[in-house]
Amino acid sequence: MKAQLLPHQRAKILPTVVLLVGALYCLVPVAWVIVASTKSGAELFSTFTFAPGTGLLDNLRDLFAYGDGQFVRWAANSALYAGAGSAASTLISTLAGYGMAKYEFRGRGVLFYAILAGVLVPGMTLAIPQYLIMSELNLVGGYWSVLLPSLISPFGIYLARVYALSSVPDATLEAARIDGASEYRILGSIGLPMMVPGMVTIFMLHFVGTWNNFLLPYIMLSDQSKFPITVGLYTLLSQGSSEPALYGIAIVGAAVSVVPLIALLLFLQRFWRLDLLSGGLKG
Amino acid sequence: MTAPAGARRGSRAPYLFVAPAVVLFVAFLAVPIGYAVYLSVRGLRLTGTGIFGTRQEVFVGLDNYARTLTDPEFWAGFGRLALYGLISVPLTLGLALLFALLLDYAGSRGRRFSRTAIFLPYAIPGVTASLLWGFMYLPSTSPFSFLTRELGLGEIPFLGAGGIYPSLANVAIWGGVGFNMIIIYTSLRGIPAELSDAARIDGASEWRIAWHVKIPLVAPALVLTGLFALIGTLQVYGEPTTLKPMTTEISQTWVPLMLIYRNAFLRDDLPLASAASVVLAAGTLAVSVVLLKLTQRRALGGMR
Amino acid sequence: MRIRGASGSIAALGMAALLAACSSGAGGGDSAATTPAAESGPVTLQFWCWGSGQKDKVAAFNKAHPDIQVQHTDVGGGTDTAAKLLTAGRAGNGPDAACLEYESLPAMIVAGALADISAHTGPIKDAFSPDVWTLTSFDGAVYGVPQDLGPMVFVYNRKRFDELKIEVPVTWQDFADVAAQVRKKDPEAYLATFAPAEFGNFAGLAQQAGASWWKVQGTTWSVGIADAPSLEVAGFWQGLIDKDLIKAQPLLTPEWNNQLNKGKILSWPSALWAPGVLYGIAEKQAGDWAIAPLPQWTAGDARVAFQGGSALAVTKNSKHVQAAATFAAWMNTDKTANDLQIAAGEYPASLAGQRATSTSEPPKLVGGQKDYWQVAAKAAQNTIPHISWGPNVGTASSAYQDAVAAAVRDKTPLADALKKTQQVVVDDMKATGFQVAGS
Repeated sequence: MKAQLLPHQRAKILPTVVLLVGALYCLVPVAWVIVASTKSGAELFSTFTFAPGTGLLDNLRDLFAYGDGQFVRWAANSALYAGAGSAASTLISTLAGYGMAKYEFRGRGVLFYAILAGVLVPGMTLAIPQYLIMSELNLVGGYWSVLLPSLISPFGIYLARVYALSSVPDATLEAARIDGASEYRILGSIGLPMMVPGMVTIFMLHFVGTWNNFLLPYIMLSDQSKFPITVGLYTLLSQGSSEPALYGIAIVGAAVSVVPLIALLLFLQRFWRLDLLSGGLKG
Repeated sequence: MTAPAGARRGSRAPYLFVAPAVVLFVAFLAVPIGYAVYLSVRGLRLTGTGIFGTRQEVFVGLDNYARTLTDPEFWAGFGRLALYGLISVPLTLGLALLFALLLDYAGSRGRRFSRTAIFLPYAIPGVTASLLWGFMYLPSTSPFSFLTRELGLGEIPFLGAGGIYPSLANVAIWGGVGFNMIIIYTSLRGIPAELSDAARIDGASEWRIAWHVKIPLVAPALVLTGLFALIGTLQVYGEPTTLKPMTTEISQTWVPLMLIYRNAFLRDDLPLASAASVVLAAGTLAVSVVLLKLTQRRALGGMR
Repeated sequence: MRIRGASGSIAALGMAALLAACSSGAGGGDSAATTPAAESGPVTLQFWCWGSGQKDKVAAFNKAHPDIQVQHTDVGGGTDTAAKLLTAGRAGNGPDAACLEYESLPAMIVAGALADISAHTGPIKDAFSPDVWTLTSFDGAVYGVPQDLGPMVFVYNRKRFDELKIEVPVTWQDFADVAAQVRKKDPEAYLATFAPAEFGNFAGLAQQAGASWWKVQGTTWSVGIADAPSLEVAGFWQGLIDKDLIKAQPLLTPEWNNQLNKGKILSWPSALWAPGVLYGIAEKQAGDWAIAPLPQWTAGDARVAFQGGSALAVTKNSKHVQAAATFAAWMNTDKTANDLQIAAGEYPASLAGQRATSTSEPPKLVGGQKDYWQVAAKAAQNTIPHISWGPNVGTASSAYQDAVAAAVRDKTPLADALKKTQQVVVDDMKATGFQVAGS
């Protein structure tokens, strides 16, 4: 074997190396949190970053024992906010997107530009007024205060509209109408089934967004038993400055909480239709 | 984009379909925005007696806007944001495009593994991501500084004066590359294979094919990801907030949203924060519209 | 945080009257036994507080008061709690009672968030020294019951001091000398840290030197954040930073914690709650540390300021002010509560609680120090009674942190940072409508 490489071999090695470097770059911090979750409080600050520690079981026990099993509560809450919220939001977005794509009605143009503007408004600027509105409705501090605002997703509506435009042929709808089907039947038996791949994508995007959302629940909630994981971990961290032992719990909590989400993403990856994101741009 | 064909005129169905979305939109987006605008012309002023008195909300006109627009910190925040965005946006998009092209290139090995690995950070909440990187940056827990120290090169000042922008941008790049990569990649997959094959038969190299065939065809996806990256940049909040306790480089008003948070919660001046929010939201809208006009793609699927 | 079932609470009623009678006798709190609980069931109070000892104290209170059931929530540290309380108060859905740091009380009063409980605190007033009582009473109104105190002390790693053969500084001049010795004997180590975010710490040091950051005469305020003593203290730390004798960096970061664990940070001039905090980071150093009186500007002086410490306040939203006041009183005067507080490493505000410390074990970090509680008591006795927090401490704190962080970063004078803070504070007060003297 000569040391020299043939051109076609080099053409394989360079891209592969670049991709693997990229993969490594993305995996290093994830590896870190998993290694760090095995360290005891003292080891965290005193041993080499990537040296495994001896405290994994203790950390896990502390995590699940913290506040009478509050971590499990947080995980369940996150699943509720992200799961139920995304399911409902996906349905609402799909209906609206389908309606806007497949029907002409008064106010459609205004609605479209309103939705577009909604996509562009920073969430943070809305959180405070949303809080005050919620408190007018006497909902602050409850599950609804986090669920309700997350039901409306301008981006989801926008995507649903794009998807309906591209994958629900007008001719099919027209044929159904000629056969005498009602608009609701058409939606149920033609529109929705055709939009399922788009709905999965909208659901996933919304799910990850809600699961990772921090600010809204942080402002809305004060009862720890209603926190989602992000806010729970943040309070652990911020208390970490007065009780640094909690750092360890927060880190193992972070490690435990990313695992289900990664699993879910890996599982649903094949059902994604992210091309629909750019589909709308092809005009 | 053609108008939808022959839906029955006067049917109630479309209104029923959009009704839930409209109700929620009004209740949780339009009304709060209106309320923020209302609050922005109010102010808390002292009334009553006693050494402290109490503060009451009164109408103050455009006071809060004047204070916001003349606050050098507010503009400095945008300046820092610009610098941060200049690093993070091109790198995120550039890397996403590079990885997407490599994934699309049949010669690469380990594509499945790489795609999954690069996409993984998308699943990690921003708060957690900043914490992870924070530990990677701090001299005594950083594996990188550990290596450079062993090599006798000293520590890398990730959180020092020169390092803070790249360090923060890195957190955003890390979290964003995978998602954008997938968007571009799915776009690439949609390109008919004949186009590349034809070019290959003409003797074009893979680089030429990428540059002259593939990239122009995924331009719409690039515009979209660019827009997302830009909006994301204007909304930067979580990363600097989480890293702030670790360094003196990040002030409480480092980016505009941090200033808004400070005014609202630490200084208890909700009206002032509302005024700054309105300015920021209007600015975001303006920037997005300008960007879309510039790229002239009838992007976001205009209505007609 | 479970709500007791109805049958359980009825069965417990007889017991309740008995216990309540006992506790009000012992603690001198408002008589809780008089509230008839039979028709409406127990009153439920929401309570926000941070700190490791709160859960046990609340559980003990609930056990002793079947007719008042308290649900405890930890919404974050002192700053977070104050911020959330303001927002929730404005929205009308705050808790009934909350812990607040002394320095944030005025801002809360200005915002109209707290209830005056002077009608209910008559019996417990004498459980506190008059100086401590002034921490929560303003203009004849009482806005909370003092909970714990943070008299400033010098917390140091005695083992490392012994190894390096250095003496505990008595004056700030000594402190500077010792800082220089440390740098010479172990170039990787520093005597202490100057942290730009530590507003309360610097306020305490300035106050020790004679500064008076807020003062009010009639309705006219004066602000002295950049007064002569404050500038002098700033100059002192400036000198230490410039000569690299102390380390200017944030506290309690993973970085700082790591250096502390390695024995490279030798002391923390702070307050009595510090050993509990440090133990959480550096468990291995349990027994190595000790406390000493805070260094003085003049040898022979003993005066120190408070840093931190909190009170238990009742909110204006509360529909059960009397029950909440009973709770606030019990939490800070009952023996059980005080004992739990001491066990959690807090220094109680009540006189009885302070006396109880003499028979308590020292915190684990300073486990080897026999005279820990004596040193603590001496510091507590010598705190400056006049407390001078203003109505916009939050603004001052955030302005100070930014200005000082920028000064440390850009190597500009700390004195200028104080002047800048002063300006922000005065402007803010004027904009709100306060009369501010001078400037």
